[in-house]
Amino acid sequence: MIEVRDVTKRFGATVALDGVSFRLDKGEILGFLGPNGAGKSTAMKIVTTFLAPDAGTVSVDGIDVLRNPLEVRSRIGYLPENHPLYVDMMVHEYLQFVGRARGLAGDELRRRLEWVVEACGLGSVFRKPINELSKGFRQRTGLAQALIHDPEVLILDEPTSGLDPLQIIGIRELIQGLARTKTIIFSTHILQEVSPVTDRVVIINGGRIIADGRIGELERAAMGRNRIYVAYRAPAAEVEAALRDLGGLHEVRPVAGREGAARFEVRADFEHDMLAPLSRLAQSRGWDLLELQEAPFSLEDTFIALTRQSGASREVSHV
Amino acid sequence: MSNTGVIFRREFAAYFNSPIAYIFIIVFLVLNCGLFMTPFFLAQLADMRDFFGNLPLFLIFFIPAVTMRLWAEDKRSGTFELLMTLPMKSSEVMLGKYFAAMAFYVVALLGTLPIPIMLALLGNPDLGAVFGGYLGALLLGGLYMAVGIFTSGLLRDQISAFILGMLACFALFLVGVPAVSATIDGWVGGFGSFLQNAFGLMPHYQALQRGVLELGDLAYFLGLTAVFLVLNAVWLEGRKY
Repeated sequence: MIEVRDVTKRFGATVALDGVSFRLDKGEILGFLGPNGAGKSTAMKIVTTFLAPDAGTVSVDGIDVLRNPLEVRSRIGYLPENHPLYVDMMVHEYLQFVGRARGLAGDELRRRLEWVVEACGLGSVFRKPINELSKGFRQRTGLAQALIHDPEVLILDEPTSGLDPLQIIGIRELIQGLARTKTIIFSTHILQEVSPVTDRVVIINGGRIIADGRIGELERAAMGRNRIYVAYRAPAAEVEAALRDLGGLHEVRPVAGREGAARFEVRADFEHDMLAPLSRLAQSRGWDLLELQEAPFSLEDTFIALTRQSGASREVSHV
Repeated sequence: MSNTGVIFRREFAAYFNSPIAYIFIIVFLVLNCGLFMTPFFLAQLADMRDFFGNLPLFLIFFIPAVTMRLWAEDKRSGTFELLMTLPMKSSEVMLGKYFAAMAFYVVALLGTLPIPIMLALLGNPDLGAVFGGYLGALLLGGLYMAVGIFTSGLLRDQISAFILGMLACFALFLVGVPAVSATIDGWVGGFGSFLQNAFGLMPHYQALQRGVLELGDLAYFLGLTAVFLVLNAVWLEGRKY
């Protein structure tokens, strides 16, 4: 549905995108992650035909963005990062304007208006001037604008930025509701927002794609090993020696725990189940087992590990 | 509705969504009519030559103030990205904005109609000259407007767009003034006259003001207007790269 191949974009001397490629099938949702200034917005602006790539090709539904930009635009609903709102208009005037500009008229326009107002929860502000709206309502008005022509593809640049937790959940539910019927790319630098909506992510840093895949796979690839927290009621030195003798553990590191507990963070290969041996250790030594848990990596850990790796590899390649 | 029509409607309404439009029109009418009425009572002539004679200088300030927001405001507020990702050509968006600004100017001009009506009641004005004068005012405004929308696109800030537009319109005005072209001729032989003939607007404007309709004068205004609109369209496409 969306295919980005070897796209490069420069602004003067700065390279915003450097050989970026990824693809997205119909009905997929893609979380586009990266630190601020990584090139997320630039990539989205190229897919929406706002900017042209310096090199490489981009196609939406098989249509090239350079050869036929108007066809591409008619298939895309786009929410730019800065609210694309005319603050001098009322919400309904603004949505009517965008609807007409996208070729809707008469009954169809009215039907779509009713739908987006319902879907985006704009009923209470429908006849209010946009400059009186709160940030959350402005964001939703922007989203309504992107949805008014019922596009096949949605490109949302930071749809939840600056919203409070309840509003974020609202936007998230809206995106989830659209998931089955539309192809969606949304960018964010807040990682917790991704996993409830999709498990397909592309991580971009310094204008390059550093990871593309399912969140689970990326975690394993980035972190290499599983992480387990274990605590016994026993002398710390004794426990540490026992853990090192156990075998199968790559790292044994004491960490803070409650009074009288010897608590350790240990690392093991993913394919090696270490929970059973660790619990048997307590029985065989007669210790009380206070804690035993696998600590899954957060997306943050993955993200930090991947951006570090890419930074390191780039430094090497410069030398 | 056509694409240009949709943009026109929104932009035209935008002028009247704020009090600025009304202030503009009142200032336009008060200054123009005031400047006209003072000598009118002294000369006691039923013609509008003074009225139209003031316009080329006056519009240098008025028109860029109308056009300064056309692109600069969109670029600042983020709606520029919305406009440029609508399924319509960027030239259609531009024409919608241009015609909206022109319609606003026409509304202001319509406000001056009591003057010719008053003249017709009081005396016997040369209606050909009045008609030619209004046509000249329209063409002159259209040219300044094209210059103004072009300069508005180059900048993000409305005030800078206003000043740049004003300077560009003033340059077009100046090169057509005989004293200026004579001075430039003194520096570079023949260059001043060349500029006057090629770009100066006063000779063409004055011909229209006399009620003389010549193809050359119409072609000058429409041609130069088209040049600036095309430049604007080229800039809109080139910005992507």
